[in-house]
Amino acid sequence: MKSLKKNIIKISLLTLASFAFVGCNKFLDINDTPNDPLEVPSSTLLPTALAGTAFANNNELNRFASTIMSVTAGAGGSPQDYDRYIINGDDFGNQWRFELYGGALVNYQSLIETAEATGGPAYAGIAKIMQALTFAMTTDIWGDVPYSDALKGEGQATPVLDSQRDIYMGNSEANIKSLFDLVKEGLADLDQESADSPGSDDIVYGGDIAKWKRAGNSLLLKLAIQISLVEPAKATSIINEVLANNEYINANSANLSVRFGGQVGSQAPIWTLTHNSLFQNELLISTRFVDRLNTTNDPRLPIFVTRNDGQYVTADNGFGGVFPPIGTRSVYNNYATGVDGVGPVRLLTYAQTCFILAEAVVRLGVSGDAQALYEEGIRASMTEAGVSADDINDYFADNASVVTLSGSNDSQIEQIITQKYISLFANGLEQWNDWRRTGYPDLAPHQNAGGIDGTRPVRAVYLSSEVQRNPNMPQGSAIPQSNVKVWWDVN
Amino acid sequence: MKQKLLSLIFVLTCLIGVSFAQNRQVSGVVTSASDGSPLAGVSVAVVGTSSATQTDGDGNYSINVATDATLAFSYIGYVSQRVPVNNRSTINISLVADETSLEEVVVTAQGIERTARSIGYATQNVSGENLQQRSEPNVLNALQGKVAGVNISSSSGQPGSSTNINIRGITSFGGNNQPLIVVDGIIFSNDTDNSQNSLFGSQPSNRLNDIPPDNIESINVLKGPAASALYGSRASAGVLMITTKSGKGMGGKTEVTLSSSTNFQNVAYLPKFQSSYGQGSQNIYNNQSSLSWGPKFGTMPTVIEGGSGREVPYQAYPNNMRDFYQTGAFYQNSVNLAGGNEDHNFTAGVSSTLQNGVVRESDFNRHTVNVGGNSKLQNGIKIGGSITYGKTKQKGSTMGNGGSAFGQITRIPVSYDLMGTPIYDDAGNGLYYNPAQNHPLWSVENEFFTSNVDRVFGNLNIGYDFTDWLNVSYRVTGDTYFDSRKQVLRNGAARAPQGAIDEDQRFRSELNGDLMVRATKNDLFVEGLNANLLLGQNINQRNYKESGVVASSLTIPGFDNVSNAGVFTGSYANTEQRRLIGHYAQLSLGYNDYLFLELTGRADKSSTLPTENNTYFYPSASASFVPTEVWDVLKSDVLSFAKVRVNAARVGRDADPYLLNSVFVTSSYGNNTASIEFPISVGGSSITGFQRSSRIGNPNLKPEFVTSYEVGAQLGFFNNRLDLDFTYFNTKSTSQIFNVAVANASGFDTQTSNIGEMTNKGIEVMLSGYPVRTNDFSWNVNFNFTRIRNNVVAIFGEEPVGGDLLTSTVIPAVNYFGGITPSIAEGYPYGVIVGAKNVRNENGDLLINPTTGLFVPALPNEVIANPQKDYSLGINNTFTYKGISVGALFDINKGGQIFSMGQVDLRSGGALAVTEADRDQPRILPGVIDNGDGTYRKNDIQISAQSYWQGLGGIASEAAVFDATSYRLRELTVNYSLPQSVLGNSPFGQVSVGFSGRNLWMFAPGFPTDPEINTQGAGNAQGMDLNGIPTTRSYGFNIRATF
Repeated sequence: MKSLKKNIIKISLLTLASFAFVGCNKFLDINDTPNDPLEVPSSTLLPTALAGTAFANNNELNRFASTIMSVTAGAGGSPQDYDRYIINGDDFGNQWRFELYGGALVNYQSLIETAEATGGPAYAGIAKIMQALTFAMTTDIWGDVPYSDALKGEGQATPVLDSQRDIYMGNSEANIKSLFDLVKEGLADLDQESADSPGSDDIVYGGDIAKWKRAGNSLLLKLAIQISLVEPAKATSIINEVLANNEYINANSANLSVRFGGQVGSQAPIWTLTHNSLFQNELLISTRFVDRLNTTNDPRLPIFVTRNDGQYVTADNGFGGVFPPIGTRSVYNNYATGVDGVGPVRLLTYAQTCFILAEAVVRLGVSGDAQALYEEGIRASMTEAGVSADDINDYFADNASVVTLSGSNDSQIEQIITQKYISLFANGLEQWNDWRRTGYPDLAPHQNAGGIDGTRPVRAVYLSSEVQRNPNMPQGSAIPQSNVKVWWDVN
Repeated sequence: MKQKLLSLIFVLTCLIGVSFAQNRQVSGVVTSASDGSPLAGVSVAVVGTSSATQTDGDGNYSINVATDATLAFSYIGYVSQRVPVNNRSTINISLVADETSLEEVVVTAQGIERTARSIGYATQNVSGENLQQRSEPNVLNALQGKVAGVNISSSSGQPGSSTNINIRGITSFGGNNQPLIVVDGIIFSNDTDNSQNSLFGSQPSNRLNDIPPDNIESINVLKGPAASALYGSRASAGVLMITTKSGKGMGGKTEVTLSSSTNFQNVAYLPKFQSSYGQGSQNIYNNQSSLSWGPKFGTMPTVIEGGSGREVPYQAYPNNMRDFYQTGAFYQNSVNLAGGNEDHNFTAGVSSTLQNGVVRESDFNRHTVNVGGNSKLQNGIKIGGSITYGKTKQKGSTMGNGGSAFGQITRIPVSYDLMGTPIYDDAGNGLYYNPAQNHPLWSVENEFFTSNVDRVFGNLNIGYDFTDWLNVSYRVTGDTYFDSRKQVLRNGAARAPQGAIDEDQRFRSELNGDLMVRATKNDLFVEGLNANLLLGQNINQRNYKESGVVASSLTIPGFDNVSNAGVFTGSYANTEQRRLIGHYAQLSLGYNDYLFLELTGRADKSSTLPTENNTYFYPSASASFVPTEVWDVLKSDVLSFAKVRVNAARVGRDADPYLLNSVFVTSSYGNNTASIEFPISVGGSSITGFQRSSRIGNPNLKPEFVTSYEVGAQLGFFNNRLDLDFTYFNTKSTSQIFNVAVANASGFDTQTSNIGEMTNKGIEVMLSGYPVRTNDFSWNVNFNFTRIRNNVVAIFGEEPVGGDLLTSTVIPAVNYFGGITPSIAEGYPYGVIVGAKNVRNENGDLLINPTTGLFVPALPNEVIANPQKDYSLGINNTFTYKGISVGALFDINKGGQIFSMGQVDLRSGGALAVTEADRDQPRILPGVIDNGDGTYRKNDIQISAQSYWQGLGGIASEAAVFDATSYRLRELTVNYSLPQSVLGNSPFGQVSVGFSGRNLWMFAPGFPTDPEINTQGAGNAQGMDLNGIPTTRSYGFNIRATF
């Protein structure tokens, strides 16, 4: 009996000991993740966000926009639908979710916060300029979108939409900062001394802040010309400010172009979609685009587009028959994809800047030589494509009527935008922006047009899953379809 | 808490004090009433004390008792008897077999044995014999159709593919809804560790598949939270308690059991193909088209075949799909050695399963070796343990809609000579009619997934009876495995034209320590009131590690090693650790064998919740009453037994690790069509990138809870020949830990939250018995019926959002396709599929576009399919005549829908037989045209057959939804036991030979093939056939011998 009691005491002690163990909170304090950092340096966020903007511009949205802009033609999958003007709320899900809001935009936001906390105004400045560019891309595609209420994470799981006008113009009552002000804030940040500043992590300029300033100023021009029909006074004043400042992109070497790499996992999406993808046979170059450049014997054509035995093998937009055999089709050439996919993805170029200024001179009457700017735009584009000076001169000699602005303001604008369209090859979103805003270039309807009413889309339809997730999005029949114009599209 | 326990122990200590009556030694032999054979391992207990012993191998027992004591004899499967000693020294007893198991000893949570009558909740036991020699290597599949309240579905016919199991429905929005698996007290991982994109990947096995059915003695299913509460958090989805074979009950003998079976497998239930029209569209031949809308056969003698460029006859190959699959085979062999008696016993075994799948190049091989034993030392300490090593290898082909053999096999034009065309050109490159895709035979050879699991699990128990009423034991269990995986996409694969090898390792381990103090007191306070108290503590640690490298741009064709990489993309290493400390108590009271009450409580402290919320308590109470024991008048020739039971329980559950913080992760963009993965190489520099994780963390996370109520009755009829068991349950899940979808414009995709409410209401009915039983012939029936109604009451907050619009969110961690989303939707059952639904008028007629004659565009965000069944039932009949027994399991799974890309692909592609008839005649889609004035006219717009069948809808439409109802002969077994007269003096104790068949007959009225397929594998998303592998039919021969 004695030993029994002894044992019981032992067991009791053991039990108590194990209970005391519970008190040891250290045993349970193991829930800090060893797998993912809670904070990261600016130098890891900048390339993430830059690549995100480029990815958004260059991936599915380019397949869509280049196709409805009659640059490419769909031979299968989604592009075949786009080619017939068919888009709906199931399209561009990955773009909205993971390339724009959950990709570039939120990481610019993190970069701004991180940079401002760690003394890196250079990073903050770049992030603000690029966030403005990326928000502009988003609103240009979808119209009214979450902007001032977006990117707040747990603070706002169902952000309200801002009107496209408020996004461009700002609205102090609603506390909405205009895209222009966002860019200007970024430019002001770039003027500051920055203890932490980018180097090779800047996959655009390699840390050259002066070029970022030029990019910011050219972006102001692009944003201004985009609203020049609805808000000509605002557009004029912004453009005049930029001209006075004289610090916009003035050479191809200052192009806002995002560079990718030449190996798997680093390649620009347009290269992968052309050469190394399940989707690689869904797109070929449109007969219409090739015909357009052939009429002027444009030296950029063989640089833009591949040939098979010297022949362009293309299809008409909306074509419903048997496509030319895979392997023989004309597709994006290295100008668009880069050798082995190194890109670059050209987001804002010298040629584009020239054409914007030429249009501003003609449309808004800002000071400048429209003809000179127009010619410089064409030359800049050809130079960027690698056309020799002799060939450029030949082109100018052979196409005097093309390279000389003439006629009414409207026909001069048609000339400018048509050349801008060619120079924006592989940047379908900007071609689409210009076409919606100006109606140029003149594009014939596609075959077998379908979609909502057989008209070329003038906006993308809000993503179904976002409508599902956010009651502040228009619901049901209130969702604008692809035939409803956005705010700046008034022609 | 400490103080309470201390005082409790003190009180218990004080209770020691046993009064001794005059004692004598009683001995005897226990035999079976049916054949007089001795029964080994019969429990002989002295009523009112905890003094007990067991019979030895010859049925002998001996026990020291008071002269006025009563002995209770009980043995599993036999009617217990109570016999007063009455001064006798020899008491021989023959026990009557109890076919209805009313007196059965049931193993409940934590291995505690109880008589069936005392249990206030539903459990169901399935013996190993019902799982073995069934032409089925996966235990879960072998359990299909046999247990009420349990829903089991296999996911494909690929060997080793995972099987989903849910008990009493889905109770957690985002957590693991598979039951806890406990093997001999060892918490046993049944994870699938899905590393693959569920849209495009391969399916790893569910890890319970590491145990062969041959090793299993029995499976006890604890269905509700009341039954499983002692296991704590993870048992809220129920428990499968698996007992493997041991030497207990051998009665001193040593026996070797040999089992062997050879089985063959075929793909079952392929769709019927048309054989009149070939490759192309709009009656024009096109040798790169995936469609069979080309010209009629006979209109041109030969064509140039796509890919090979051969000139071939233009004709039908309607058996392409059948010929693509092969006859699979599997061989299961095991040797089990067991011996000893109740106090000292041992077991050892080896097993082997070798399987070649119906898909070429697929296989599944499993080997296990185990040893174990128990011993009672001279000092009274009982010690036991077991250890098992298993090695499971699996090789399978990748699945999915884009770029897999199974995404292509549904796109083979009828005129394409799938099996005859060359699949390689002279340079060794793949040949296929569609150069962007791969020939299915090329795919199964060159795109595959292998998994190689080494697993060890075991336990060690030590226990001691301090007095006849106090037992203390400690149990340590461990389970660990290492899974070395490789996915190979060789050069030329559509998904990775330059080739890619994903080599990854997964490691999982779990350790548990359980201290249990058990006290028993009979005639507590009043005579006939027996009490059992259990106090326990559980310490749990789980570790997980995964790491991998992805090698891309392969250089040397066919060299499947990561060293072949031109570039490495997407390397990763993640570890997880979690700990939990639980304290539990159970008080069981029984009054005179007719009234029982059990109270349990458990408090858990988990590492995965914020410190201020990491302790949570949950109780359960259950009661059982046996009126026939109280009022004899209730008993009649018809009703021989009645028991009613009722319980209420609540179980709390913690979170997965590391959900509290928002983090940054390595950056990547894109999907399987175009992607970049940081670090990226730009201009010679390697650039590191981190991005916001798409999930918002929650530092205020709380545990989630399931509350459950259950009532049930068990009735025995006709002298217990027929047993009816009925259960109704109602569970409510609240405060769900869930990564709820947020608007992506917030910058994020999901937010970890405590939200929502979901209910499950269900009925389980079991009926078993012997309609006919004579000396030579018996007919045994087991019937089970399950009907569960799941309803998502609210998602955001605790109240439904309401309104006209669908409120829904996506099931987390599921890859989904375009607008086809496995979802959680308010007012609907869990797991409905949300997609675009065709537009209908108020009468439900489909609206037709008056210009095209096609459906008007479908509207998104509608529920288009519900995978949950209306009900399921299984009927198992076993006929035994002398040594021959024939068993047949028939089951019905009624209702539920399946979203099948493959079947709709075949139909809109013009390959199915249904598209053959009247192809040259115009057709009219069913529907109405809006007259614009609120009236409608019947659609009369004629369209071509191709437009019609394509207009019904393609792979991302409502047209891909099918009714999954099936009627099935799940199992057929024929066994013959050689009579003793034949075995005579041979060394064999028993020899039986048999035939078994699985899935031999199936009828699915609403689906072209077998709807029991789910490419998402085991997990919360069900009813998705995104180009999976069809089910199989298997049959085989087996032999079992003991000596």
